[in-house]
Amino acid sequence: MAVNRRIFVSGTAATLAAPALIPSHAFGQDKVIRFTMAQDFTRIYTFVTSEYSQGQRDYFTLINERGGVNGHRIQADVADHANDLPRAIEAYERGKREGAVLCDPLSTPVARALVPRALEDKINLITAFSGRSDAADGSAFPYVLPLSINYWTQAGLIVDHFAKVAGGSLRGKKIVFVHIDTPFGKEPLPILQVLAQRQGFELVTFPYTPPGNDQAAIWPQVRRARPDFVMFWGAGVGQTVAMTEAIRNGLPMDRVSSSVWMSESDMEVVGKAAAKGVMKVEPCASGRDPKPIKDILAEVVAKGKGAGPEAKIGTAYYNYGVQMASLMVEGVRKAFEKSPNGPITGAWLNEGLRSISNFTAEGMLPPTTVTKEDHQGGGQGRISQWDGTKFVPITGWFTANQDVVWGEVKKYSEEFRRTGK
Amino acid sequence: MFYRRAGIRHTRYQDERQLFPLGFDRFLILSVLALLIAAPFLLDRFYLAGYLIPWLIWTSAALGLNLLMGGAGQIHLGYGAVMAIGAYTSVHLVRAGVPLEFAMIAGGLMSASIGIVFGAAALRVKGIYLAMATLAMQYIVDFVISQTPAISGGSLATIQVPPVSFLGISLRGDTETYYFALFVCFLIALFMLNVGRTSFGRALAAVREKDYAAQILGVSVFKYKLLAFWVSSFIGGVVGSVLAVCYLRAISPDQFHIELSIQLLAMVIVGGLGSVLGPFFGAALILFAPIVLNNLTGLVATSFGLAIPIDLRAHIPLIAYGALVIGFLLYEPLGLAKIYSNLRNYMLVWPFRHAQR
Repeated sequence: MAVNRRIFVSGTAATLAAPALIPSHAFGQDKVIRFTMAQDFTRIYTFVTSEYSQGQRDYFTLINERGGVNGHRIQADVADHANDLPRAIEAYERGKREGAVLCDPLSTPVARALVPRALEDKINLITAFSGRSDAADGSAFPYVLPLSINYWTQAGLIVDHFAKVAGGSLRGKKIVFVHIDTPFGKEPLPILQVLAQRQGFELVTFPYTPPGNDQAAIWPQVRRARPDFVMFWGAGVGQTVAMTEAIRNGLPMDRVSSSVWMSESDMEVVGKAAAKGVMKVEPCASGRDPKPIKDILAEVVAKGKGAGPEAKIGTAYYNYGVQMASLMVEGVRKAFEKSPNGPITGAWLNEGLRSISNFTAEGMLPPTTVTKEDHQGGGQGRISQWDGTKFVPITGWFTANQDVVWGEVKKYSEEFRRTGK
Repeated sequence: MFYRRAGIRHTRYQDERQLFPLGFDRFLILSVLALLIAAPFLLDRFYLAGYLIPWLIWTSAALGLNLLMGGAGQIHLGYGAVMAIGAYTSVHLVRAGVPLEFAMIAGGLMSASIGIVFGAAALRVKGIYLAMATLAMQYIVDFVISQTPAISGGSLATIQVPPVSFLGISLRGDTETYYFALFVCFLIALFMLNVGRTSFGRALAAVREKDYAAQILGVSVFKYKLLAFWVSSFIGGVVGSVLAVCYLRAISPDQFHIELSIQLLAMVIVGGLGSVLGPFFGAALILFAPIVLNNLTGLVATSFGLAIPIDLRAHIPLIAYGALVIGFLLYEPLGLAKIYSNLRNYMLVWPFRHAQR
């Protein structure tokens, strides 16, 4: 049959109309807690999302296999929003209609657009490593929960670690900050400027044009500036290019550090041996040693219920996914402790999430305490170093420079409070 | 049968000059309008906020772009930047206490005055070269916004839209914002319908077909090319502020990047260049085909218990979407509006096959 115009048009119309006509499956189980996990699998975050999402789903499977929380199963509705606002908002509204109490978009532009809606609809918006950094202020953003260290804190941790490496003081040292020239890349600047003034180091910044696949002009300048320490701030392709250029220009890699956005997959691009020594901020333990990962391997993957390729288990972003999922589940647990009979709503879960205290997911996370004021969870992380095959922690869990971070958080959250309502 | 015509015959000039000369067309358009007005009472909030509001806003923007591309034949790859100028201007004004009614107009004027500067390139270059000039506008505006903290809003680069009201109605809930978007879309569509039968519209058509032929006929190409850019950018600016107020509620530079421009371009081309109905269909297809295809894949996967890995599940709709757009361009290069027009032409004399026009 040759496809002509009429067949094409009517066939397309029938396909597009089909979802509206087929009744969607009403899930019989009433003991379900729904999370909306529309994330970007196809546009910008791509492999980050697929590893992150795999970790989340494996952890939820682990919890559900063990009988759920208080007899309730956790159902994560995973979809692709491609970092596109109409699609993300449609997914959010769909989730809301189906009774979702939590939404995790893992995308800064989407999180920004969802903030006013989530505050209005009382749906918990998880903005780990994305969205507004000032959402750490829980009193201004009751339903927006980063539950993890924001970029300002990450910058503060790195500077603090540099100071330790330099023997206690950074006075007279030079720190070079290489960043992607976008709002995300410029975000740590106010923190670094305050710290430079306070601790007496010289801050030199080099922006590169997004997406950062050519930084050849920047790094020779970095070398010529003779930095004592280098921080590079980017995402995706910019990170691997930055590392490659740093190595090519002969910078001492054990004086170079990145934010949380660096993973084993990046190292394969750069060259595992060449990148030896480079540091990153870890929001949770990586590798397969933490207890939850071992449990997932034994109880989920061994039974053939894993959500994705087994090789990815234990990689950095997979573990970030497990970290966030474990915090969400802990929030559900706390919510049941507070009001065992529900009803299961966004407000109910919000109470639970905001009373997580000293939670470590059996040693995988830094002690995380979320309060009604502090949605960052205490601001603890650690620095780890690439040894050629894996990331090895070189500090314990610690927090630093939180007064500067909170000064900046308050500045923007006040501004939001003044005009956002 | 429906149109009660076997060929179009008018006996009075007034009849022929009407926007919709046929009674059935008028009936159809009024019923669609009535349905749209009744939508908040008939439909769940989910359809309102998830589908109808974005559809109306993107359609309004595509209509503005279509005036330039379909009406005057000037390509524009920076329409997202035009909307950004309108959005940022009006949001900053609203935050400074200016009522939305004026802020919207000011946003439109600002877009128009900046848009016309880049539009001036159209006086010297055409086609692919004009595409490059407008692309430059996209990147320059993006750069200026994200590099100026006073515009973008500091290190977080997000500005919140304060609560606003339009003509005394507070735009808080979905119903109010929906009616506001509908009102703006209605005005723009009405304007676009009427442009075609004014001297302005005819001059644009002359410029579109051959600019020097138009000049020989006495149509000032200089004036009408700039005017086309001015009007289209004005509409873009106003729609930008509607987008910010009704839909985004917090604006940041990345919302107005090249992706938005390309999306609008696709809506205009798939919908039908130069048609008023086209952008409505084009916006619906470009905005919702990915969503619907995604849900369809999800539905098929869960109903038949297929264990498709999520990566593949996310990419199948993209493949289908690409095939869909190519298919429409292949089978109906004149756009979705032409499909409707074919149907209408067929029904015009149905049940007969042929009739004198």
